[in-house]
Amino acid sequence: MIAYLVTILTLVSIAAIVALALNLQWGLCGMVNFGIVGFVALGAYTTALLALAGTGPILALAGAVAVCALAGGLVALLSVRLSEEYLAIVTLGFGEIVRVVSLNEAWLTGGALGLPGIPRPLIESVPSESYDWVFLGLCLLALAAVFLLLESLTRSPFGRLVRAVRDDDVVAATLGKNVLRTRVVAFAVGSGVTAVAGGLQAFHFSYIDPSQFTPIVSAYAFMAVIAGGRGSNRGILLGACTVMVLLEGSRFLKDFVEVLDAEQLASIRLILIGLGLILFLIYRPQGFGREPRRSAGSLLGEAAADGRERTS
Amino acid sequence: MIRKTGKGSGLTLPRRTLLKGLGAAAALPLAAPWVRRARAADPVKIGMVIPFTGATGAYGPEMEKAAKLVATSINEAGGILGGRPLELIVEDSETNPTAGLAATKKLLEVDDVEAIIGYWGSPIAMASKQLIIDAGKVMMVSCAANAVTEEPHGGHIWRFQAKSTQWGPAGARIMLEQGQKKVAVLAQQNPFVISMVEPFKAEIEKAGGEVVKEVVYNPDQPSYRAEVEEVFGAEPDGVFIPGLLTDFTSIVKEYYRAGFATPITSLSIAADANGKFLENVGGEIAEGIHHFQPAPPLASPNYKRFLQKMGEPEDTVFLFAGNAYDQMAVAALAMEKAGTADGSVWTQQVPFVANPPGTKVMDPVEALEMVRAGEDLDFIGAGSDCDFDATGDQLNRHFLHRVIKGGENVTLGTIS
Repeated sequence: MIAYLVTILTLVSIAAIVALALNLQWGLCGMVNFGIVGFVALGAYTTALLALAGTGPILALAGAVAVCALAGGLVALLSVRLSEEYLAIVTLGFGEIVRVVSLNEAWLTGGALGLPGIPRPLIESVPSESYDWVFLGLCLLALAAVFLLLESLTRSPFGRLVRAVRDDDVVAATLGKNVLRTRVVAFAVGSGVTAVAGGLQAFHFSYIDPSQFTPIVSAYAFMAVIAGGRGSNRGILLGACTVMVLLEGSRFLKDFVEVLDAEQLASIRLILIGLGLILFLIYRPQGFGREPRRSAGSLLGEAAADGRERTS
Repeated sequence: MIRKTGKGSGLTLPRRTLLKGLGAAAALPLAAPWVRRARAADPVKIGMVIPFTGATGAYGPEMEKAAKLVATSINEAGGILGGRPLELIVEDSETNPTAGLAATKKLLEVDDVEAIIGYWGSPIAMASKQLIIDAGKVMMVSCAANAVTEEPHGGHIWRFQAKSTQWGPAGARIMLEQGQKKVAVLAQQNPFVISMVEPFKAEIEKAGGEVVKEVVYNPDQPSYRAEVEEVFGAEPDGVFIPGLLTDFTSIVKEYYRAGFATPITSLSIAADANGKFLENVGGEIAEGIHHFQPAPPLASPNYKRFLQKMGEPEDTVFLFAGNAYDQMAVAALAMEKAGTADGSVWTQQVPFVANPPGTKVMDPVEALEMVRAGEDLDFIGAGSDCDFDATGDQLNRHFLHRVIKGGENVTLGTIS
């Protein structure tokens, strides 16, 4: 049971990193990224190819982050003339491009056969019985680093700027803020973070192929952000856990119910997952967490104090 | 269960009520009469990862049913290893490698199974196999991609299916038999199909033929018009279309609409799919399509009895259900022969119960008795002869060649 939980927790931390990245892009900056699975795939393939070429895991992951951040920045540049809904279509297109390229450029990506034998980090220096624990540790470490980075970004002046751009880009521009640059940076950082998740997935499976990167991955990320509460990094950690508990927990249904066969249970499982999400949204539409915001009162208080200082 | 919580909690934020409701829901199964009670003493657990949802979801139910048949008949005859019953635990792979991996891990760690069978779809087997090898258990797959058994696996993987490279030459021979020398290929981009294309071309060229056009298409395309025009426009003698049911259906409709008449050869998983292809397109459009697949031993009494037990008509050609039946039977036989449920020990006994020499035997219960009596046996399954080489791949797969005539599948012969 423990080893199963270790695997599930590893999958949760990878999913949580994707969700945190989406939270920066969509939750905070208002840029819908339906093609986030494309960035996960790009990160996974870059990591895998570099690791197979013998660069070592850290360089491979760093390379993937750079490639994805660059790709994310380029995609976001398209938003110079495209408002929210159009960017959503562009990202969908990007996801599809990555999928079709990974499926058809067999010389590079192995095509439909995928890339087997990706060397896993620390595999030689750790006894194989405890490797799953060590890998979980690496994933949690990555998750913690991503969380701290995004949390400090959210609370920094840049975080306020990003939210201002989301809420009303005209107002932000009027105040002299560079809206396009803000969007490009937020999207690129988010894409770079997504690459970490992709890289960890490649290491975890030690095998990647296009069928791992279906649009359902994007859907799970959106589910985690919605359940976690748009804008709240802490809530999203909980949201990612909730989605996984629903997905995996429902497997245990059949240990209790004997009258149904596996086929019926498989269908009922999907219905229950949907039902769980609907109920959750009915009873807690705002999600688990709340966007970190300073109340108007405290801001006014400060402003008043500033004013007094200036006049005195 | 969830509806109950909803009712009890009303519309206000009901965290406490919700918790109570959830608690009640969790307690409900414990009290209800249809709940699983204490299990029989020390069963031998076998896991099964097969698709019930997603693109290949149609194949799960028949495989589950077939594996259950074996478990039930062995349990009724007293189980294995001195009276231990077989217990089958089935998980949904969702046709998705990540879900398949989680399901595999759950079976290994939570249910503590001795072997995992099933595995329809190579990507799922590829993602899961290292877990099973690391745990020292045994994996029995029904998928075809060569890569599954290519890397060393310490004898822990057994393939109950023809390798994809074996499918290609069979298709080539069918087309050559019909005098088609100038041929074209329209192949789906998936690991199983792509690995059969090269051996197909080699076989055609060996016979002095020529592949004039080769087009690869992606699954789930909205239209196949461009691909169909390109391939049939090259005016070959015949076209080989290895694909799966849904895309092959669209391709054939497109071919009919455009008025082409070049003969088509395909795989039975596309052009028959247990009768679903004919249901999809009707007899007129499907007329004259040749198709083939690894053959179950159709003439054997074991296969006939298997169909009877499955409740299917006599002319059904099962591929995956038969494989699942054989996986369960071979696992039970090898455990009995080894006298232990320890995976790294009994997996070595698989060739001794499945391969010649020995008395050919078809019924799993009968075979178990022979193992107990210490006799040599060569198990013949419902899906194949069940003979393996040293890498765990199947030997001696025959392919059944059929053609669609007057809205029915007519058997033309067997290709070896």
